[in-house]
Amino acid sequence: MSAYAFITAEKLAELVADLMESGTRVIAPITTAEGRATYSAIEDLSEATFNQGLPMPSLKGHFLPPNEALLSWRQRGGDIELKPASTQFAPQLVLGARPCDVEALQVVDAVMNWDYHDDLWNGRRAASTIFAMTCAGVDDSCFCTAVGSAPDSARGADALLTELPGGYLIEFTSEKGEAFLGEHGRYFDTASDEAVAAADSLRAETRTRIEQNLVVDTARIGRWIDGHFDDDFWPTLGPRCNGCGACASVCPTCHCFDINDEQTGVGTGVRRRNWDSCQAKKFTVHASGHNPRGDQDARYRQRIAHKFYIYPSKFGDVLCTGCGRCVRACPSNQDLVEILQTIDGLAAVEEGGAA
Amino acid sequence: MTELQDLARKLLEDGTVAVVIGWEEGRRGPRPVSITEPDDTERLVFNARCVHNLATYLDPRRSQVRKLGKPAIVVKGCDTKAVAGLLREAQFKREDVVLIGMHCGGVVTDPAEQTEVTAETVAPRCAGCDVREPHRTDYVLGEARVEPPQNTSIDERVAALDAMTADERFEYWATQMEKCVRCYACRQACPLCVCDVCVADKTVPQWIERAPHARGNMSWHLVRAMHLAGRCVGCGECERACPMDIPLTLLNRKMQQVVAESFEYHVSDDPEVVSPIGAFRDDDHEDFIL
Amino acid sequence: MSEMTEPTTEFEPRITAFVCNWCTYTGADMAGTSRMQMASNVRIIRLPCTGRIDALFIIKAFERGADGVIVSGCHPADCHYTAGNYHARRRFIVFRELLSFMGISNERVIFSWVSAGEGAKWREVVNETVERVRALGPFTAYHELASRQMVGGAYETEVELPDVREAPAEAGGAS
Repeated sequence: MSAYAFITAEKLAELVADLMESGTRVIAPITTAEGRATYSAIEDLSEATFNQGLPMPSLKGHFLPPNEALLSWRQRGGDIELKPASTQFAPQLVLGARPCDVEALQVVDAVMNWDYHDDLWNGRRAASTIFAMTCAGVDDSCFCTAVGSAPDSARGADALLTELPGGYLIEFTSEKGEAFLGEHGRYFDTASDEAVAAADSLRAETRTRIEQNLVVDTARIGRWIDGHFDDDFWPTLGPRCNGCGACASVCPTCHCFDINDEQTGVGTGVRRRNWDSCQAKKFTVHASGHNPRGDQDARYRQRIAHKFYIYPSKFGDVLCTGCGRCVRACPSNQDLVEILQTIDGLAAVEEGGAA
Repeated sequence: MTELQDLARKLLEDGTVAVVIGWEEGRRGPRPVSITEPDDTERLVFNARCVHNLATYLDPRRSQVRKLGKPAIVVKGCDTKAVAGLLREAQFKREDVVLIGMHCGGVVTDPAEQTEVTAETVAPRCAGCDVREPHRTDYVLGEARVEPPQNTSIDERVAALDAMTADERFEYWATQMEKCVRCYACRQACPLCVCDVCVADKTVPQWIERAPHARGNMSWHLVRAMHLAGRCVGCGECERACPMDIPLTLLNRKMQQVVAESFEYHVSDDPEVVSPIGAFRDDDHEDFIL
Repeated sequence: MSEMTEPTTEFEPRITAFVCNWCTYTGADMAGTSRMQMASNVRIIRLPCTGRIDALFIIKAFERGADGVIVSGCHPADCHYTAGNYHARRRFIVFRELLSFMGISNERVIFSWVSAGEGAKWREVVNETVERVRALGPFTAYHELASRQMVGGAYETEVELPDVREAPAEAGGAS
């Protein structure tokens, strides 16, 4: 299911403007006044800066905000009135997101619909049309290709744009995407064979470049983790980690949250959920005071194990799309690229395979 | 083998310490390492990219480090001020740690991208450093270093904020507080943030809103700045750790200025110097009190 | 008293006062028993000592929509616990600079030493604070920061949050 089209920069600007006029919010990567890249709602296409700086944090915040109200309550006499948050959201177009961010959303969909349907997440997902953009790569800490993704992956996207002279080749890759093309066809031109070939060539070139950064077998990494809970490898990582949540906050696939009730007035209050991280000391502390992951060796092992063994064993995907943000954000220089390389090497030796 | 590597090996081999906390080279520059095997000491390095304040690993609550045994720790002069702060607050005893001081000529701002200290790369924290040769350490290694170029941007930025109106400042900080996602990287990276139960983690009762909206974040950063007033050593790790690039050092630097001006207290590497916030003087000024 | 009994469209500041039990609270009580007339905009919270007053209390007052805060205790050398007010003084020297640096005007936080016998002084502190804060206007900015977040702010959930500055619909209805 692939329909190609071409859109000029001018027509894309018009499309964005017209969408906004009709009540659709448009989210795109921007550069802030401070020079930082981030995903933000835009008023005009000119605010968007594609493939310039990796947006921090990831796109996840627009689907699972760092803080959101779940319900509010008011006590009247002996009764309590509960008002849950609406799960209906205004339509939005995510334009020009990095494939690692887009694929992450689909990876997390699984846990968000596992034993409980998270309709706040699902509501935003349903309301969103997502156009990824072929990524030029950031630096040698990108490793999307090593974990089953790619800088030109369209997985989870409704369309994939590739920047070419004069505009963008656009490949619609889902039913929602094709419907979008149907509805907004007047903005698009036919894609020439040359344009498709040029885009293919760019995509292949980026893929080859990113592949240099890391090649591992994630399945055997998962098997090694399963069999090595008490391995001496984990205490080489734990002492370095200072237990901050920076990695989890910038990660497009980390999704843990904490729920707190806050009193807002006499007899009134709000229940909120906020981002949390398994690296925090109190993350697993029980009401009894016991903490099964009482030191950072256990907590850091958990992070790696969850992403590369536990999650894939439940849902099929590793809980990582290789964006490399954790590597860049870590103040203690923990290096997931090196960790995966090391585990893959250990697994290869053990299984007698090629490293 | 360098001087540092030899010393570390000796300390491990003769059982003086059970672990040496220092830096090793990583793929993106030097990174903290805890070395327990004498042969591994050849990985130890020290250079201008060693920006981390390793004193943070001396927090006795970091049980994964504590269980390794008595540590030796490689410190720059600025790091010894954090060690002094922890000793001042009886977090551990001086005899329970071996301090390996390194002569320092300044560090870079971004160790992943920068390798040499120049006027453009030197970290703001190095301005005004008076401990390029660490005092009060058990050893001092390396050669005496010249004063690095001075990056006075922190004081300039504090002054620029002071020059604004209150409303302008409020809007400035509100915008910064919008960015915070409450990952607590600032707290975890800080060598002086060692409370077993941080006030922000206490939910019964809840003193600080957990929600990372600008209000919860403003309250969190106000409280953290207060709790560090008179204790912060200006290492800048909070700002370096922040994944959202919030200029936290401006808050702590302002507090350092206030404490210096009001109580004549300057950050000291001497644990005997009394912390200003636990003490008081009969003649502390009260011109603001009706 | 007439300006207090007639409804007014003038902005009435909401002031929270954190006072020590032994001096200011008693002084305020004395003002009351002496039938001194003063502005009624102040809600008093009694603590054993100004030394107990955490900077967080002041922050919390602003979070909840207070327009101004009074912190008051015993004069130096008169503290019931000997030195609590000295610790408080030092703490507040620092805190007011921090508040000001973050853009919260020092005019909104008033500190005073009011002894048990100084009912008249308490009246002056209250009246002066109310007028100062009235001139500054309401301080909803801090309370309303809750609606600002950068990441995901465009897609925040809509949940009805009663305005903390409103009186509850039924007095005494809550547990």
